[in-house]
Amino acid sequence: MNDDSPRATTESQPRWRRTLSRLVDASAKERMVISVAALVLAVAVGFVIVVLAGLAATCATKATVLGVPTPLCYDPVAVYHELFLGAIGHPLSGNWTPLHFRMAVTLQNATLLVFTGLAVAVSFRAGMFNIGVQGQMVLGALAAALATIHLGGVAPSGVLGTLVLVPVGVLAGAVAGGLWGALPGALKAYADANEVITTIMLNFVAANFAYVVVSSWFTPPDSSLVQTANIPTAAYIPTVPFAFQPRDSFSLLGLLFAVALVVGVAYLLARTVFGYDLRASGEQPEAAAYGGVSEKQTMVASMTLSGALGGVGGAVLVMMVQGRWLANLPQLGFDGITVSILAGNNPLGVGFAALLFGVLKSGSAAIGFGTDVPPSLVDVLRGLVILFVAMPEFFRMIGASLGVGGDVDA
Amino acid sequence: MRKPERSTIASALVAFAVAVVVLGVLFPRSAAGELVDIASRPIMAEIALRLAVPITLAALGGIFAEKSGVINIGLEGLLIISAFTAVLAAWALGGDTSVDLWVGFLVGVLASVLLAGLFAVVCIEYEADQIIAGLAVWLVALGLAPFASTVVFGSKNTASISRFSEWTVPVLHDLFVNSGVAPLEYVGQVLLRANPIVYLMFAAVAASWYVLEYTAFGRWIEAAGENPKALDTAGVSVHHVRYAGVLISGVLAGIGGASLSVGHVGSFVGNGTTMIDGKGFIAIATYLFGNYNPLGTFAAAMLFSGLDSLQIGIQQFTPYDIPSQLIQSIPYVTVVLVLVLVGRTRTPDSAGEHYDTGEDS
Repeated sequence: MNDDSPRATTESQPRWRRTLSRLVDASAKERMVISVAALVLAVAVGFVIVVLAGLAATCATKATVLGVPTPLCYDPVAVYHELFLGAIGHPLSGNWTPLHFRMAVTLQNATLLVFTGLAVAVSFRAGMFNIGVQGQMVLGALAAALATIHLGGVAPSGVLGTLVLVPVGVLAGAVAGGLWGALPGALKAYADANEVITTIMLNFVAANFAYVVVSSWFTPPDSSLVQTANIPTAAYIPTVPFAFQPRDSFSLLGLLFAVALVVGVAYLLARTVFGYDLRASGEQPEAAAYGGVSEKQTMVASMTLSGALGGVGGAVLVMMVQGRWLANLPQLGFDGITVSILAGNNPLGVGFAALLFGVLKSGSAAIGFGTDVPPSLVDVLRGLVILFVAMPEFFRMIGASLGVGGDVDA
Repeated sequence: MRKPERSTIASALVAFAVAVVVLGVLFPRSAAGELVDIASRPIMAEIALRLAVPITLAALGGIFAEKSGVINIGLEGLLIISAFTAVLAAWALGGDTSVDLWVGFLVGVLASVLLAGLFAVVCIEYEADQIIAGLAVWLVALGLAPFASTVVFGSKNTASISRFSEWTVPVLHDLFVNSGVAPLEYVGQVLLRANPIVYLMFAAVAASWYVLEYTAFGRWIEAAGENPKALDTAGVSVHHVRYAGVLISGVLAGIGGASLSVGHVGSFVGNGTTMIDGKGFIAIATYLFGNYNPLGTFAAAMLFSGLDSLQIGIQQFTPYDIPSQLIQSIPYVTVVLVLVLVGRTRTPDSAGEHYDTGEDS
């Protein structure tokens, strides 16, 4: 029963050949089809959940769906209208510009999700399940906040200060996240500790650790929340004068940086020796080891890179959005898992998936304003998307029964 | 690097504990003395047993699933969904009589079984990657329970309902507690009057151990994970056995989750990582440490919950001003240390792999 696993090396069996050629010929197209289908299906199931929730909830006035009175408390059509069009500021309602503040929220979420999505993707490509991006992000954010706050006193102000502080913050985030990511990598490489469990446990440890550090030493005396002081103004990722306002907490330069990282990681994976080793370790560990790739070093290196990307995400969160480290950072690390899996762990795909999830995250806020439905609906969709992406066979069977996708299952 | 054996680690831990106890008894004014004073209170053992319930039950479930060849990393999700559904159902019935609570309990278990069934179909029928599908189960529950709670209760945390009242072993309890002999009094207080979920846990540990060790079904489970082909040849459906393994994990984790909410706390907390707070993942670490043996797994779960109960005790009874978040990290750090010390456990040979019956290979 080993003959259809990617680790099998015997090429003589026709079934294995078939699987291989199927993966090579159809993988990109098929992945995209599966991702879109998974998303559509998740949205459909989400629709049913909203209807059921609308039956279960109690309310004074029942919803009218498309002009028809219903026994529901929530209007599922309105929910999805808000989720997708509200997320970008209702472009069809007139008076809309691409610089609408909802667009800023969408792009802000997308930017942040690129970092955590890339972080997850790099580890998955290397055959490591890094579920710890959340913790790596939390520590990256903390390092960036502390570094820029402490350097702010001596750094020059204005543009010159920004030129110093922003790279320092990003670097601090990368180092902190990278070290925290290297830890489970090393534990896996040298002590065989299952990285799925250790990374999840280290999420809890990172959150608790950062909380204690900040509450013990870095919370301003007049603050009732556990948070650091504000970072210096010069440490904010600068906004471009002609696009969006500073109050929108979004910078096109931040987005450009994210896009540059997407291209950089794609290049790294596709064209460099390190990228080849990393992919080889993920796809064919035995062959990679035989070919002289050090399995242990690759494990540690890929987890370090993954953690560093997560840490950079935390740094950008601090320097573009929050302006300080706050307890209970948003769960971007877990969303990064969805983004990466939806993208088939492909860096370029991560860009698109992050944009899509940016819309969903922004739309969840729009749902909160525009409807009575709990915004955590988007968290349900996140889980459903992964569930459906996990079952490609399901879509193949549906495709086969509909008589489409014959080339896929040939 | 050569790995120390589990038994070596366990002995070292016991030796360390004994050393602390001896130190504590000899020097009652020292930190060790205070620790021993706290740890020896019956309330500490009671708390440890209650905290062990969800971890132990989820871990027992994980053993059945993984031994049959399906790695169920979604135990956390099963705990979350049953904990919430149990409160929801009990609350809908009124939430104050023990009948409401037990019916809610059963509904919670049912919800967990349904989610486990979905996971089983996805993994066995549609050949999904088990790790990814398990993550999906976790994330679905992590989204769904707080969502549903907000729909019904207007907040991610549910309303408070009643919770199980303690059971007393008739006659024996009074006999032990009034015996005047300290160890018997201790046993009477800790074991002869306890939350029913504690007795449920003991029953589940014993039953799982018996089933896996001494029944034909236990051998099928073993074979489905180790050598499915042989099982197939013997005429037993590998798929059916794996379905059974995953569904049993749903039942056991469901009992664990419902035990925590309606059994122990009396509400569901859906903020952040929810009230389950990683217990499903700790459960995975405990059965790895317990080497897939229900008795060893129970011992490992008691180790974690004992530490957890001790950290609660330290916060309540000592003047030390240690930040609680730091002490709360102890169980998570322990899991990492245990995984480092135990290293790769010998997972069943075919765990994580799909099995196709002969005709197409």
